[in-house]
Amino acid sequence: MDICSSWDGTLSSSDFRVAATTLSKKWKVINPVFPPWTWVPCPRRPFWVASSDSEVDGYLSLENFYQLSSNEVGHRCSIETQALNNLVDVLCSYKSSPAKEELVNCGKEEPVDNATLVQSDDQEMHFYDFHIVYSNSYRVPVLYFRGYQSDGQLLALDEIERDLPLNSLKILRESKWTFMTQEEHPYLNRPWYTLHPCGTSEWMKLLFLGGDSQTKDGPTIQQQYLVSWLSVVGQAVGLRIPLEMINNSCPLYPVNSVTLSNEVND
Amino acid sequence: MAAAESPNSSRKVVVHLRATGDAPILKQAKFKIAGTDKFAKVIDFLRRQLHRDTLFVYVNSAFSPNPDELVIDLYNENM
Repeated sequence: MDICSSWDGTLSSSDFRVAATTLSKKWKVINPVFPPWTWVPCPRRPFWVASSDSEVDGYLSLENFYQLSSNEVGHRCSIETQALNNLVDVLCSYKSSPAKEELVNCGKEEPVDNATLVQSDDQEMHFYDFHIVYSNSYRVPVLYFRGYQSDGQLLALDEIERDLPLNSLKILRESKWTFMTQEEHPYLNRPWYTLHPCGTSEWMKLLFLGGDSQTKDGPTIQQQYLVSWLSVVGQAVGLRIPLEMINNSCPLYPVNSVTLSNEVND
Repeated sequence: MAAAESPNSSRKVVVHLRATGDAPILKQAKFKIAGTDKFAKVIDFLRRQLHRDTLFVYVNSAFSPNPDELVIDLYNENM
């Protein structure tokens, strides 16, 4: 698929399957220690949904991705705060607020009632499941995720937010196109958190139009789509996509410049 | 596309900024930045130049780097 100005930033469901394969292959090579992205076929579809292409039915899944919470996160937050201090200081409109300090100290001042609870370790593990599901109505991928403790108890949104790096929280609060909601998982029919896909096709279009130096040998949009998409979406949920994902195995586009745009969804 | 240059001694990287969408075009499109600086600094710089709080900044391989990536890593990874 050539990038032409008529491309609207969306993906067909069969292209989604192609992109999913590329993402999981690259991920396996570059992040061998992390849980893999695996394709979960879902032949069972509601009878009212017509599907001509049954092999496309399914979603991409990365499960048991763990993050340390509590003190560990507090510690991580404080390191990130220092790293972001330069950024925050220079931003004329952003001064460190009490709210930020509170966030840094999270987990340290929570009273623990030893009498009623089996005291859990300070460094409690939080696990995350991420699913990438194709949206037939928006024709773009949508991220669904949930967090849970080691005993299986699901995390509430405020607990999830405490796990996120500070810049993710900034993204979530400032960007209208990445707001989180809880919705029914299209295949599992249980409530999962999701990032709303309403602006996705617009910023995906911008993302690809920026690179005018594509070669015929490079990967196609279908192949590259999910990697590019995840580089944006992953930042909102603290799922870091290594830089090597850009040009693994095949030399992609020469990328020495930065393209900028306003946020697309004003 | 403008190439970033990285003289060994200073390890500075020239960043070429290009506007897409309805972003205003900068009078000066190329800036030199220390390779040890983070990508966040580029975003922050643009935010001040354009007086916009929310920006969508990415490299032209259709990739949006994490703000705490080092500029030199972006340069090297995209050679």
